[in-house]
Amino acid sequence: MIELQHVTKLYPASARPALDDVSTEIDKGEFVFLIGSSGSGKSTFLRLLLKEDDPTKGTVVVNGKTLNTMSKWNVPKLRRTMGCVFQDFRLLRNRTVEQNVAFALEVINKPQRTIKRVVPEVLEMVGLEGKAGRLPGELSGGEQQRVAIARAFVNRPLVLLADEPTGNLDPETSEGIMLLLERINRTGTTVIMATHDYHIVDSMRRRVIELNGGQITRDQSRGVYGVGR
Amino acid sequence: MRVNFVLSEVATGLRRNLTMTVAMILTTAISLGLMGTGLLIAGMISDMKEIYYDKVQVSIFLADDVTEEQRAGVEDQLAQLQSEGEVQSYLYESKEDAYARFQQQFSQQPELVQNTPPDALPESFRVELVNPERYEVIAAQFPDGTNGVDQVRDEGDFLDRLFSLLNGARNATIAVAVVQALAALLLISNTIQLAAFNRRNETNIMRLVGASRWYTQLPFILEAALAGLIGALLAIGGLVLTKLLFVDKALAGPIKAGIIPPVDWSAIATISPIIAAAGVGLAAIAAYVTLRLYVRL
Ligand SMILES: Nc1ncnc2c1ncn2[C@@H]1O[C@H](COP(=O)(O)OP(=O)(O)O)[C@@H](O)[C@H]1O
Ligand SMILES: [Mg+2]
Repeated sequence: MIELQHVTKLYPASARPALDDVSTEIDKGEFVFLIGSSGSGKSTFLRLLLKEDDPTKGTVVVNGKTLNTMSKWNVPKLRRTMGCVFQDFRLLRNRTVEQNVAFALEVINKPQRTIKRVVPEVLEMVGLEGKAGRLPGELSGGEQQRVAIARAFVNRPLVLLADEPTGNLDPETSEGIMLLLERINRTGTTVIMATHDYHIVDSMRRRVIELNGGQITRDQSRGVYGVGR
Repeated sequence: MRVNFVLSEVATGLRRNLTMTVAMILTTAISLGLMGTGLLIAGMISDMKEIYYDKVQVSIFLADDVTEEQRAGVEDQLAQLQSEGEVQSYLYESKEDAYARFQQQFSQQPELVQNTPPDALPESFRVELVNPERYEVIAAQFPDGTNGVDQVRDEGDFLDRLFSLLNGARNATIAVAVVQALAALLLISNTIQLAAFNRRNETNIMRLVGASRWYTQLPFILEAALAGLIGALLAIGGLVLTKLLFVDKALAGPIKAGIIPPVDWSAIATISPIIAAAGVGLAAIAAYVTLRLYVRL
């Protein structure tokens, strides 16, 4: 479902590659933690899967499509099969919770009646059914991240990419977010989450891919954050 | 495509950069107004050319003391030239005819007419050439000051100078219009960059959730096109006002005398769609190119 073959990413004006000959495979429905210290290449890994950037060397395959040769006209189609969540939520401050989620569907031309039906469903799923009319500024961090997750999931993506989704949240709130991501994973959606929160990684016991200076130094199913911890 | 969504994006965008939007619209309007003026002048020039060059004449003015024979001699020569295909037609104009024509031509300036004695104007042959540029040939046939010919004068000479002046005016107008258009295009590009920056949150999300490029770009392009359209409407309004307040008032005399052709409503109606299309088209293209070059969508 997702495959990286000898992928190297060298940003211009940077001597050291952000990803250095990375090869891995992630199957449909997996839950994968991408761990490593700051600057180890986690975000770059996720950006390449979204074709936000192209690898300098190597091949990236997502949903059976080789991204290297994909024309830019097909990129939107690819991204409609993927959801993404970030540390900083990236909500539209001047739109309500409901409008933020609906926005993701409106801009890909979903019919209004579909939007009317699925937005309340997904808000209920993330536990925000009572806050549909609030603005992001009127929500806690955890609630804002739930809105972002609702927006990422509302179009039922095959893959959900989460780049340090709990980076701005306290442990308890983070736990709630992790339960939500697990639930999404159980619907069959592949979840790839970059994090350096070892509590979470240790408690979940899922596949762990560890990056170090752009190289994969560990790939372990049912792993923990630190070796021997 | 969700029309409401796109339109509300456009409206928000225009409102958010009000200063830039106003500057962009005004520059576009000035540029298009000048372009329209240039087109009107060009139309006027071709109207005038038709009026004037059609009746371009060489005048052979006869001396005051011309004899009957000399006059007949000139006429014989003209008949000869007509049979050789140089002269289209010719016409004798007596002193009285000349005065009558003078009175009519300067009816707007009665003092001038009053101060001119009826016999002040010379008699002449008005010669219409087959090819107005062959003036020199005629002039050579009738040397000034011999055989009762006082002077041979070519109106074409004067017209050439007049039209080079008018062409200059037209070219200068269009040159300024082009410079203004460049300024307008830069302002449009700038405004679009600013608008894209202001809406980067929206467009980033649109990009990530897989909105098509067109869907993301359309609000910006429509924003520019709308500004271009408003600019064009202002320009057309300016041309209408210029016609009503300047051309129809200040130039009423020469227009009535048939010296300058009037600026018809039909001329303005003809160039208005051109101005509107140019305004909308150039603004939209400038926006599209800006998005392609400078803005990651
Ligand atoms: N847009 C960019 N331009 C240049 N260098 C970058 C860019 N993004 C990331 N990098 C560099 O690439 C390396 C990996 O970054 P990143 O993938 O963001 O790591 P992580 O998400 O694990 O912190 C870092 O050294 C970072 O400085
Ligand atoms: Mg990162």
